[in-house]
Amino acid sequence: MGLVAKDRIRAKLKKGNTSVRLLLAHPMHTGRAKNKADELIPAEFIQDIRCWRNEEEVLTIKCGTATARNPYFSFQLVGGKADDLIEFRWVDNVGAKGLAETRVK
Amino acid sequence: MSKTDQQRRAILKGAISASTLAMVAASGLILPQRLLAHWPTNAFNAETVEDALLALVGQAEVASDKALNFKVGSPPSYAVNGASVPVAIESNLENIERVAILVEKNPFPLVMSFDLTPASILPFKSRIKIREDSNVIAIIRAEGKLYKTSHFVEVDIGGCG
Repeated sequence: MGLVAKDRIRAKLKKGNTSVRLLLAHPMHTGRAKNKADELIPAEFIQDIRCWRNEEEVLTIKCGTATARNPYFSFQLVGGKADDLIEFRWVDNVGAKGLAETRVK
Repeated sequence: MSKTDQQRRAILKGAISASTLAMVAASGLILPQRLLAHWPTNAFNAETVEDALLALVGQAEVASDKALNFKVGSPPSYAVNGASVPVAIESNLENIERVAILVEKNPFPLVMSFDLTPASILPFKSRIKIREDSNVIAIIRAEGKLYKTSHFVEVDIGGCG
């Protein structure tokens, strides 16, 4: 889809709050689609995403299969200052996991 | 190869896989399974909006359909590609515990749910898949009550294939 398969994460101060944007590289197969050989592609999708700010857990997201491919999330954190550490960890239904982190700008 | 030999091999194989498992467990790779335990399987596998809500928040009656909004144009009223439809949720409510996004006519309506903490606030934006023309529903649970809003989205190419 024109996207480079790479996790992208941005955290920026905006009017006193921290605005966080996250783009994960993940195929998010629903388990319903078929490949060219007409075989079902097994389900593979992120189920659980957690976000920490400086070791404090601030958000938990549970995803179903209907979350779009290369999932994108954007939300705000109250307050915050430059150089805060924002950290994401995710787990998918086959047990793969990943980590994305950045510092607030 | 004699029979005893084959048995020996089977035992060896078994021992190797057992020790591999032990190593995996010790190295902390088993952690995903522990996290997965929290994934609400019933809610995500429910086939109607009501069932999904009952499984996710334990109630399906909605107190009010005001107090939260989709941002204008997100989701759009007409989406060409149902595989990636943007949604944005805004609300003035306080003490929001949980937010859920559902698509009425998807095979499994519940798309995602997230738990806010005092440190995290709306607006929340994401992208979802929509199979056919359907209502997109957002539910907020705050102080034990449910709030709901919905928006009808037409899609050209279904996104759950």
